[in-house]
Parts: sequence; structure tokens; C-alpha cells
Amino acid sequence: MSPILIIAIGLGTAFLLAFLDNRLRATAYAITLVALAVMSWIAADWLFALSSGSTGPVEIFTAGTKPPFAINLRMGLAEAALTLLITVTGLLAAVFLKEPMMRLGRRSMAVLLIATMSFAGIVLTRDVFNLFVFFELAVISTGGLVLLSDDARALSAGFKYLIVSQVISILLLIGIIFLYHAGGSLNIDDLAAASAAGNSTVLLKSGALAFFLLFIALVAELKPFPANGWALDIYESAHPAFSAIFSAAAGAASLYAVDKALLIGGPAWLPVATAIGLSTFVAANVLALSQTSDRRLLGYSSVAQIGLVFAVIGQKDLLGDQYLFIAGGILLAHAVAKAGLYWLSGTLPERALTSWAELKHHPVLLFAFASFVAMLVGLPPFPGFYAKWQLAHALAADGRYLVLGLILLGALIEAGYLFRWFGYALKREAPAQQVDLSLHKIGVVLIAVAAGWGLGYLWGDLSGLGNVLTALPLLFALSFLALDWLPAKVKNAIAIAGLVAWFLVSYPGYDPLRLIFGVIILIGGAVILLASFETHGRRIGFYPSAMLMYAGLAMLIVAEDSFGFFAAWEILTLGSYFLILRGKKSEPHALSYIVFSLGGAFAILAGFAVAAQGTQPFALQGLADVSATFAPYVFILLAAGFMTKTAAIGLHIWLPGAHAEAETDVSPMVSGILLKAGLYGFFILLMTMGKTQFYGVELTYVLLWIGALSALLGNLMAIFQEDAKRLLAYSSIGQMGYALFGLALMNHLGWLMALMFVINHYVYKSMLFLSVGGIAKRTGTKLMYRMGGLITLMPLSFIAVLVGIIAMSGVPPLSGFGGRWIFYNAIMSSDARLPMVIIFLSGPIAFLYLFRLIHTIFLGQLKDEHRRLKEAPFWIVLPQMLFVAFLIGFAIFPGLALRRVDAYLGSFFPSHGLAWEGLTITSEYGYWSPVSIMIVVAVIFVVLLAWLVFLNHRAQKVKQFNIVFAAERPYRPETTHFAWNFFAPYRKALGFLTEPLVTRFWGGITGTLHGTADLTRRFYTGDGQVYAFHFVGFVVIVYLLSMGVRP
Amino acid sequence: MILVSMAAGFLLILMGLYGALTNRNILRMIVAFTIASTGVNLVLVSVGYLAGRTAPILDAAVPVADAAERIIDPVPQALVLTAIVIGLGITALMLAYAFKLYETKRTLDISKFTELKG
Amino acid sequence: MTFEWMKIPFALLTLFIVVNYGLLLTALMQKIAARVGGRYGIPIYQNYIDLLKNYALRSAITHGFMFYLGPVFRLTGGVGLLLFVPTIYGSAMFSNMSFAGDLILALYFIFFGSLGMALGAGESGHPYSAIGVSRGLSQVTMAELPLALAVFAIAVQYQTLSITEIVAAQQGGFLHWTLFTNPLAVIAAMLSFLGSMMRPPFDVVLAPQEIPIGPPTEYHSAYLALMQTNRVIFPIAKIVIFMNLFFGGASNWPVFFVKVFAIYMVSVLVGVVFPRFRVEQSIRWFMVWAVPIGIAAILIV
Repeated sequence: MSPILIIAIGLGTAFLLAFLDNRLRATAYAITLVALAVMSWIAADWLFALSSGSTGPVEIFTAGTKPPFAINLRMGLAEAALTLLITVTGLLAAVFLKEPMMRLGRRSMAVLLIATMSFAGIVLTRDVFNLFVFFELAVISTGGLVLLSDDARALSAGFKYLIVSQVISILLLIGIIFLYHAGGSLNIDDLAAASAAGNSTVLLKSGALAFFLLFIALVAELKPFPANGWALDIYESAHPAFSAIFSAAAGAASLYAVDKALLIGGPAWLPVATAIGLSTFVAANVLALSQTSDRRLLGYSSVAQIGLVFAVIGQKDLLGDQYLFIAGGILLAHAVAKAGLYWLSGTLPERALTSWAELKHHPVLLFAFASFVAMLVGLPPFPGFYAKWQLAHALAADGRYLVLGLILLGALIEAGYLFRWFGYALKREAPAQQVDLSLHKIGVVLIAVAAGWGLGYLWGDLSGLGNVLTALPLLFALSFLALDWLPAKVKNAIAIAGLVAWFLVSYPGYDPLRLIFGVIILIGGAVILLASFETHGRRIGFYPSAMLMYAGLAMLIVAEDSFGFFAAWEILTLGSYFLILRGKKSEPHALSYIVFSLGGAFAILAGFAVAAQGTQPFALQGLADVSATFAPYVFILLAAGFMTKTAAIGLHIWLPGAHAEAETDVSPMVSGILLKAGLYGFFILLMTMGKTQFYGVELTYVLLWIGALSALLGNLMAIFQEDAKRLLAYSSIGQMGYALFGLALMNHLGWLMALMFVINHYVYKSMLFLSVGGIAKRTGTKLMYRMGGLITLMPLSFIAVLVGIIAMSGVPPLSGFGGRWIFYNAIMSSDARLPMVIIFLSGPIAFLYLFRLIHTIFLGQLKDEHRRLKEAPFWIVLPQMLFVAFLIGFAIFPGLALRRVDAYLGSFFPSHGLAWEGLTITSEYGYWSPVSIMIVVAVIFVVLLAWLVFLNHRAQKVKQFNIVFAAERPYRPETTHFAWNFFAPYRKALGFLTEPLVTRFWGGITGTLHGTADLTRRFYTGDGQVYAFHFVGFVVIVYLLSMGVRP
Repeated sequence: MILVSMAAGFLLILMGLYGALTNRNILRMIVAFTIASTGVNLVLVSVGYLAGRTAPILDAAVPVADAAERIIDPVPQALVLTAIVIGLGITALMLAYAFKLYETKRTLDISKFTELKG
Repeated sequence: MTFEWMKIPFALLTLFIVVNYGLLLTALMQKIAARVGGRYGIPIYQNYIDLLKNYALRSAITHGFMFYLGPVFRLTGGVGLLLFVPTIYGSAMFSNMSFAGDLILALYFIFFGSLGMALGAGESGHPYSAIGVSRGLSQVTMAELPLALAVFAIAVQYQTLSITEIVAAQQGGFLHWTLFTNPLAVIAAMLSFLGSMMRPPFDVVLAPQEIPIGPPTEYHSAYLALMQTNRVIFPIAKIVIFMNLFFGGASNWPVFFVKVFAIYMVSVLVGVVFPRFRVEQSIRWFMVWAVPIGIAAILIV
């Protein structure tokens, strides 16, 4: 069917509706829906035909003549896709708008049809004046549709819009007529051809000004910062269904109009587009930070996203045939997500961001919300993810680093406020309001969700890089969404089976290094999941999140190319974010986690993009061949990205809260397992790139320092914590610092030590988090000074902690000592001396917090309210006992795990390996015989114990307060238990090192951003006339600035 | 002659814009915009006008064969007609808005309608 | 590798010699300190009496499982440390159990006893014990640092972590001792040594006048006897490490006795002159005086 029917049907039906009796509202409504459906169907039909290649782009001539004597339309792939987007948005909005339309009657329906038609017309037409006509129709219909809102303020918003539109149309008309005068045609392609040929006056003198006027008028429809106050008012006050159209359909149409206009302007105008687009993207995102109304925030986000696409249009010259894929991916992700969010907001009666908390009672809607947010941020598997990946690569290959940096910065800010909002929805108190669960509204939202996922699949297929949605681990994780109605215990069994099965399947493919990570992630993950059998009920949302994280991790370690690696990285980040967010008080911590993680992910993206220089797919091995010009930058970017995950000092502030506030069985997952992702990244980075110089500075040497400082400060902060889980969390920072230090040593044993830390940290941190979690479950507090004397009540937890702290502190005979022994041997062959001083200092500090952990919880005075406590639940204790057994076994036979790895590392560092002879492990410098140590210590211990028992076998346990205490008999455990501020003298001596400087630094940055936002938003006074001034000023400024870049 | 009308057109546009940006009364703003669009239309027509030619109506007086030399460009005139129609529509809509706005607050001062901002 | 069972009687012999020597040595040191303070001091056999008395006492009291094990841990730490380090250079038999591990094992095994003891003391529920442990741990973190630096410096110097090889490298005249080949490292280590001997100015852990006797407050009878046994073994075991690393080791028992005595005297000499530091003072002292020397030591090797 001819595409012109889309316009004809829209216009004709609107006209027909005028003749219909006003009482036949249902009929009119049905006709409207049918008309929109037919329009959509035509567009879909064309899209299908064009994409399958059964037909090529067609020109449709009106009035029987060819241009320039008549208007022509074009239907190509981009047009078909956009028209489909516009008409479907119109159709869904019509469905959503059922009540107001039935109330207001056929006229409102006609206006909606006109609006849809005119947006489609803007996309289809190839005639500048016709463009003007469709724009004016869009203005008039917008003016009408704004009034559908229940919000009385929409009236003034609509009028402000009309004022600015008047100014725009004046500029547009003058531009058009002079362009016609200069180029002799109104046809875009004719004008473009003439300007490209360069022999006409199109872009000289008055022609240039004419084009500028046309261009700026069209740009104004993109709501560029700061000439967009009017648009924001509409976004905020209009009916959400219309805001959806305004954001998705009108935005898409305007972007395409500008794209067409740029055909005339040529490449000289692309930098202008880039500049306007980028400044809008960044500024609107900053402004969105301080918004409290959901719809206004979405408005800012819309402005930002359209600015981003505009910036992409500005890169048209280098994107080539990727252009449609990239711009389309971002645009469609934006359109679907934004429309979906507006519709979702239409089901909620209150406008505060926090009032979205109501959604937490509706898992399906929450899933929709999460999908939309992920779509906007550009996370896998949605189209924006692929588009951003390709865009970054194109930009980096061409050296447009500033553009890339600003895009990533803006995206990070956007992620910040969107995820903050999502956190509100999940964690805030729900106000007393009801979600409007009408079928037609929810249905529309769900269609948007489905469309988003469908587009994700499509974009994955088109990307040519591998479709994330066909990865088996991810599908397994997503299948838990469908299984969420099952009881938690059943899902847990499935999850464990899945992890183990995937390990068995992948086992043959792992090399020794990956095997260690694989065992920790999959088998280790399964062991921790045993603790999850403890939970009751259905535990909605836990399994999809957890399995998403595991899927990402499993995919990460088998990734061969940079894309696979990055996709897995983002998946595991997203999964772990949802997982961390589940904790009772973890809202702010989960937010800082996701912001840091995404910041890191963007650094990784940029790093890969710079490394690849346009090559796709880029094998991870290729990092080894990055040219010396780029190598240091690639190294820095990737290392920074990985350091956000290992929580290196400076980037660590998310970790304590995130790990400490997570649920009992989540803490070990995100600590014991998730942190390893960063270390794995470092292994890959250092294996391929090795030592890299940056202006004469050895970057691995810098890493040594960072590792050492992390170890010191992490440990130091741990000793001052009163909260047991926080203590463990800070200790992770220290432990990861050690591992990073080992890696950065860049020698055989350093890496072996890092691997030893990978294994050990998983085991003892998981174990300790489970013990402490189990205890916290029983005592109802995580504060150590509120506990005490629990050893007899919870002996198994005590044994776990005891073994854990012995292992962790490195005291022989347990496995932690092996790590220390390898460490000393590793530093022997390194030249970096100074950072070692710090590492030497941080070692003993670990004793402090470990002793505090076991003392204040298990020893000392039992509190009265704890006298009847029971041992932690079976399922929480079980994995701990497995860990204890493993730790003892690993202490005796470290060779089981390390021998093969040692040999494998030999392929990277042939020298300084270990010799494994009999029971003794020998290095170049020293030796270590775990079995002998164990036997000697055990024999001495047993003999002495036997002797003591012989001497003192009648000893009986005396009562709690039977102690010598300065002639008094203490009776209150609270005052007798020495626990609070346990290391007070230490704080006096070294407390200055734990000043929260880093927290203040990042707080300062976010504070500045919010301050800027608050200051800038005053600029939007709400006065329509002022907005018109803004626009005029904007035009003048852009004109003056663009003088510099035009030919 | 062309220059005069074009200059007049631009003058009207500037006057209109000035009026619209300085008058706080909504009705005055609407009138100012009408003036500006009149100016635009004048500019449109004057761009298309060619001295010494006749109207672009193909009849006995202007045979098809030499029409290209004898008539002025018809396109700007068509544009003007369309623009006038559209301008009318928008002006009507603005007036309707003005009426509604007046009903809600009993004022026509644009600076009083600033509930939405920031 | 086959284990030579003859090592066991030799190990026991070593233990026997060290215990007796330690009992006499600590008494002698106490006596010297008393004489400096103008007091008469204890008889030289006093430690035997105390020890026998405590072993003979019977107690029906325990504060729990860890409390009971605490002294066992403590003494295991002392005995183990002694046996993991070769006592007499050149004697295969008096190298005891040093085949199990090198210098690093010895350094980390030092903590084994302290940890067990701290846990046992903790279970007694006595706040003084906990305070003592808190002070001890705080102090040891900084006191250990110069030693770690010194050890690293000489490990790099001799390119080995094996104690036997380090001693071997120092043979052939006292000018080959680390004391003369690497004086900075030895100074740093000896300053650290002061901090670990529980003598003034670094004895705030036990702090006799303040928190009766710190960690062992609740221990008595046989428990205390085990700890007292440790108290004579442990310093010597530690001194043996110092002797091996810095002072050329000992190739026979008489040299052993002399060197141990001399090294022990260093801490006594300092101890009788200076008053007690608070924890934060001693941490600062180590940071300002000992650590920079240690850093210099690792930078110049």
C-alpha cells in the first residue's frame, strides 16, 4: 500500500470524525483505533518489505509531477522504522487515553490522528515547505492534545509552547523562502545536490543564512538546552500518554527532519550539531539530577536523549553504514523506554519520584521499570547497548575523544538519577495510593516492555558482534523471571543445579587460570547458594538478579573478544546491583555501587574502543598488539574500570555499605565472588599488555602503589568499625589491595599469590560473611559491642570464624600462610621497594580487626538478652563447615589447586617458578612444607593439651562474673564487655589516616553537580516570554559560534 | 519596489518580534505575532516577485509555450497562501488559549502563569 | 623425603636446654633490673620455685573452651617457634624442624601463640584481658614493621629466605655478621626487638600497676604454669632468630648462651633506663625512629 495512505488515512479519518454524531463516542473511538492500526500496519508492512530486501526505497510523487513542481515523499528503511514508531506510539497512546478521549469526544480523537499523521509526514516528506506545513500541523495538534491533561497547569504550558512555535515558524518560513531563492527548489534532494555540487549559491552569502534559519528552527524542535523551558513544561503537565508521543514520536520526527536538513547543509554543519547535541545531553542530565517530579525528570531525560541522538547525527561523517544502526539504536531505545515510563507514570496518581515506591507491590511493573531504566542507560541486552558500543568504537577510531568522553559522562549522570529513582521505587515507603491497574493501561506498558526486549534481540542480531540474548547463561538467568512464582527452595535447587551443570559443560574449555575462576564462580556460587535454602516464601526478584550476576560472571571468564567481555561485565554489574539493592538499608549504597560500576564500565568501554581502533571483533589477545601511542591510555582506562570492581582505594567508597547492608547470603556472593571479576580483568589486562609506560612512568608500578595503599587503608578502616559486616567489607578492600599488589609485581610468584588470594579470599570472606550474617540473624544486630560471649551458644559459627581469621591473618598452619609465603618470595625478585613498606605495615593491622571480630562477638561477656540464642540456622552453617573443611584441606595440600596454575603461569613468566617435590614446595629463595608444619604443630599442640588435661582435668566452667575485678564483682555485661572503640589508642595514633577524604571528594563532586543543577534550573523561570527570549538568544549565540566552523 | 516590500516585511517581522517579547499582555503578544507573520508573508511574496512579469495564470494571455519567460515564480505565492491559512489556525488556537487562560486566573499577564518551572 | 626420628630426642634436648637456660636467664635479668633500681631482687632459682608451685596447684576453674586452650596455644607457639628455627649452626640434629619452613614461617609463627593466648584471655570475660590484648595488638603492628623491613633487607642482601643459608653467609669472622655488613637493618631490627620484649618502655601491654597483668589476668595454677614456661622459651626462641639473622648464629651451645644473653641484655639495658610509653606514644616512636631506618635499609641493599 502506498505510504501516502498513512497520511491520507490520518487526515481523512480525522475529517470524517467531524461528521460523526458526538454521542457515538465508542464508535468514534473504535474508528480512531482502527485508523491508527491501519497506519501502523502500513508502516510495518513497508518496514518488513524494506528490511527483507523484497523492495527498495521508493519515491512517491504527488500531483502527478516530479519535483520541484510537486511534493514528493520517500519511503526508505529509516522512514519506515520511524513511521512505524510514530504510528504505533500514536495507537498505544490512543489506547491509553481511552477515558479522557471518551470524555472529550471525537474532536480529541481527530486531533490525535492529526498529530500522528503530521509526525509521520515530517518523516516522509522530501519537501522543505511541506516539512513546514507538517510542523505547523504538529504544533496545532500538540496545542490541542496538551489540553487532554487533568493538570490545570497544562494550559499555560501549551501557551508557552505556542509562543515559541510562533518564533520558530517565522524563522523557518524565512529560511525556506531564501533557500528556495538561492537553490531554485524546495526539494531537499535537489537542494542537497545543488549545495554538494558547490556551483550554486545555495550555501553562500544569503543562502548560508537561509540555511541557518531553517536549521536552527528545526533544531529548536529538538528542545536544545537552554532553549527548552517550554518543552519541559509540556512534558511535566501534559497527559502522560501524550508526553509519550511528544517524547518518542515528535522527538523522532524532529530528529529525522534535522537529519534531512543536514543533507542540504553538508558536513560543515555536523560540528554544530555535535556541539548542540552534546551540550544538551550533558546539561539536561545534570539538570535532571535535582528534579523531584517524575514527569519533569523524564522530560529532562528526553531532552538529553534527543540531544544524544543529535550528537550522533553530528558524527554522521564517520559512522558510514553504521549510522542508522547507532542512531536508530539509541533513538528507539529512548523512544520505547521513555514512552513506557510515561505510560507507567500514567498509572500512578502522585508525581513525586518517591511515590513510585507503590510499584514494589507489583513485580511485573517493577520489572517493566527496571527494563526501561536499563534501556535508557544503554545496558545489555537493549539496543542502546550495541549502539553505544559501536559509537564508542567509531569515535575512538577517529580520535574524537572529547565527544566520547562527554557522551559517557552524560550517560553516567543519567544512570545516576535513573537508578536513584529505581532505588526509591524499591526501597522507599509506599504512599497510600493505588496503582491504576486498568488492563488497557498496563497492557500498553507491557507492550512497550516487549518491544524493548524485541528490539534488543533485533539489535543484537544486527550488531554482528554476537547476540547477548542468545547466550545460554543469560537465558537461564532470565528464565527465572518466568519461574518467579515457584517457592524459593525449588528455585534455589534449580539455580544450584544450573551453576553446577554449566560448570561441567564448560569445564573442558577452561585453561588453569579460568578453571580457578570458574570453580569459584560456579561451584563456589553453588556452595553459597546452599545458605539460600534458609529463606522461606517465594523471594521474588532474588533469583533473576543473582543468576544474572552469575551469568555475567560465567560469560566473562570465557569471553574471547572485547565485546563479549564488556557485555558480560555489564550484565554482572546489573545483576549484582539488583542483588545488592535487596538489602534493607542498601538503597544509597546500591546507588553508589551502580554509579561507580557504570563509571568503571564506561572506562572499560572507552579503553576497548581506543584499543580496537575500529577493528571489530577485537580479540582480547589483541590488547597485546596495541600500538605504543595508545597503549598507556588503554591501560589506564581498563585498569580504572577494573579498579572500580576491586574497590581500589579512591574508588572504594561504594563497597562497605553495599557489602554490609546486603542480605545474609548476598554479602558472600558480592564479596567472595563478585570482586573477583575485577581481578580477572586485571589478569587479562596484565597478561596481554604487560608493563606499559606512560610518559616514563611505569603503570604497573602505579598499580603497586594503589594496591599497597588499598591494603593499608582498607585494613586500617576495618579496625575502627563497630558493625561486623562493615568490618568484613573494609577488610575486602585491603585483601583486594593485596591481590592487586601481587598482580602488579609482574612476576611469576606475584601472580601466584594473587591467585592464592583469589581462592582464599573467596573462602574465608564467604565463610565469615555467612557466620556474621547468621549471628546477626539470631541477635538482631550487626554491632559487635552489642554481642559478646556467644561462643558456647554458637560453637559452629565460632569455629568457622576462628578458622577464618587464622587463615586470613596468615598465621601458620592454615592456608593464609601459603599466601604470605608466596608473597615474600614474590617481592624478593621485584625492584619496587617503597610500596612494600606499606604492605608490611598493613599485614599486622589485619590482626587487629580479626581479633576484634572474634573477641567482641564470641568472647567476653554474654548479654542478658542473648542467653537463649540458638546456633545459626542449619543451611547457613552448612556452607561454613564446607569452607572450614576446604581451608584445612587446602592448607595441607595447596598443590591441588596451585600446581597446575603455577605451571600455567610459567608460560608467561618462565623464571622464578616453584618446585613441587614431595611434600615441600621450593622457590628460588626459600621452602615451605605445609604437611610438615601441620604435623609438627599438631603434635606439639596435642602433647601440651594432653599434659594440661592431665594436670587440670577437674576444671569446670564457672559463672560469667566469677572474675577478679578490683575487689568488686561486676554484674552488668554491658559495662564489663570491653568492645566498643576497641582500638582507641590506635585511633589516637593513626586515626588521621582514616579521615574520609575520598568520601568527601566524591561527595564534593556530586554536590557540585547538584549545586549546578539547582543554580541552572532557576534559569527556567516559568515565564513563556522569557522562554521565547531564551530561544532568540540561543539562535544568536549558535549563529555567532557557528560562524567559526562554517566554510 | 522589491526591496521596499522586502524591507517592509522584515521591519514588520522585527516589530512583531519586539512586540511579542516585550508585551506581557497575552492578547498584545498574539497581535504582535500576527504582525510578524504578515511581515513574513510580505517577504515571501517579494522574494518570488520578478519585475515586469505577469501573474502565473496560464490562459489566453500567457500561452504555455513561453510561460517560463513571462510569468513570475508561482511557488512563493502558493507558499504564502498556505502560510496564511496556517497562521490563521495558530492564531485561532492562541486566542482560544488566551480565553481559557483568562478564565482560570482572570488575568492576561503572561508572567503570572509560571507554576511550571525549574 | 624420610623423616629422621632421631630429630625428636634432639628436639626435646634443645627444649630442655632452652627451658633451663631461660629460667635462669630471666631470673638473672630480673635481678639485674632490680639491682639497677637499688633493690636486692629475686634469687636466681626463683623461677623454678614459681613454676613448680604453679604446676602443682590444682584448679577446678575454667572460663570455657578457649580459655582452657589458650595456654596450650601459647606454649605451642613458643615451642614451635623454637623448633622451626635451626638452633645450632652446622648441627643437622639441632636444626630441629627447620625443614618445615624458612624464615617466613618463623616470622608468622610468632603470632600463633599470641593469637591463641589472646583468644583464651578473651573468653575469661575480664575487661583487663581485653584491654591488654587491644594494647598489645596495637603496639605490635608498628613494632613489627621495622623488623619486617630489616628481614626483607637481609633476605635481599643474602638472596635467600632460608635461615641456615643466612647464617652460613655470615661465617668466617665477626665482620661478616649482618651487624657489620648491613648495620641499618640490624638497628631497625633491634629497635623492633625492644618493642617485642615486654619490657619498658614498651610494656604497657602487661602494665603491672594499671591492668594487673593484662591478658593473663584470669590465668592461674597449671594454666599460668604453661604460660610461664612459654615466657622463658619464647624470648629465647625470638632471640635465636635475631642471633641467626644478624649476629652470625651460634655454632655450639656456649656461643649460643653468650649471644642470647647479650642480645637479651639490650632490652634490659634500655628497659631499666626508660619509663613506660603509652600505646600511641610507642606507635609514634616506632614510626619516627625505627621505621625510617628500616626503609633506608631496604632502599640501599
